[in-house]
Amino acid sequence: MSLDARVGIVLVSHSAQLAEGAAALAAQISGGTVAIIPAGGTDEGQLGTSATKVQRAAELADSGAGVVILPDLGSAVLTVRALLGEAGDLPTPIELADAPFVEGVVAATVAAAAGGDIKAVLAAAEEARHARKL
Amino acid sequence: MPANYEQAITLTGDLHARPAGALAVAAAKYSAAVSLTVGTSTADAKSVLGVMGLGATSGQDITVAAEGPDAEEAVATILAILAQATQVGA
Repeated sequence: MSLDARVGIVLVSHSAQLAEGAAALAAQISGGTVAIIPAGGTDEGQLGTSATKVQRAAELADSGAGVVILPDLGSAVLTVRALLGEAGDLPTPIELADAPFVEGVVAATVAAAAGGDIKAVLAAAEEARHARKL
Repeated sequence: MPANYEQAITLTGDLHARPAGALAVAAAKYSAAVSLTVGTSTADAKSVLGVMGLGATSGQDITVAAEGPDAEEAVATILAILAQATQVGA
């Protein structure tokens, strides 16, 4: 991996707006140096998830250091798991994070912006569940 | 040899999400452990959520402490970010 390669992030949400909004927020907080690709909604633009969108987003997010995927809820997890289970052409390494959606993407992108490797970025996302807001 | 270094600053603006992010990205580049303390709350400066969770606001004193080979440089960098980023209430 080159020195400049950052771990990329994919946001998988039932809602295109939710994925896009969380991506915009995380980009601003982390300084805009990390690829954060939203994959929200179905192929028809309805609420739901799309393996095709996740696949495309993962390809766009990868710059050589791998990709961490954050799902929002339920079938977003199932869609990503099914995709990861196929023998498709996904970037490597690729990890599915068990993390809160908003806090997870903020923590993950800050870790990626700081040059963290895929393990550090995944850990930052997953540790986000322990962060207190108050 | 590990060094300890700390310095305090009075915030001139609230520590919002954007400066918290800039601070965490900068802190993560040092090998020193860096912490922020406001009142009785302490956070790891490398954790953006921890920094935001401090809820630090204008007028509060914030202490930046670092331990490690590049502690002094880390503290200087974080103080500069705090001074600049909270000025405009970014």
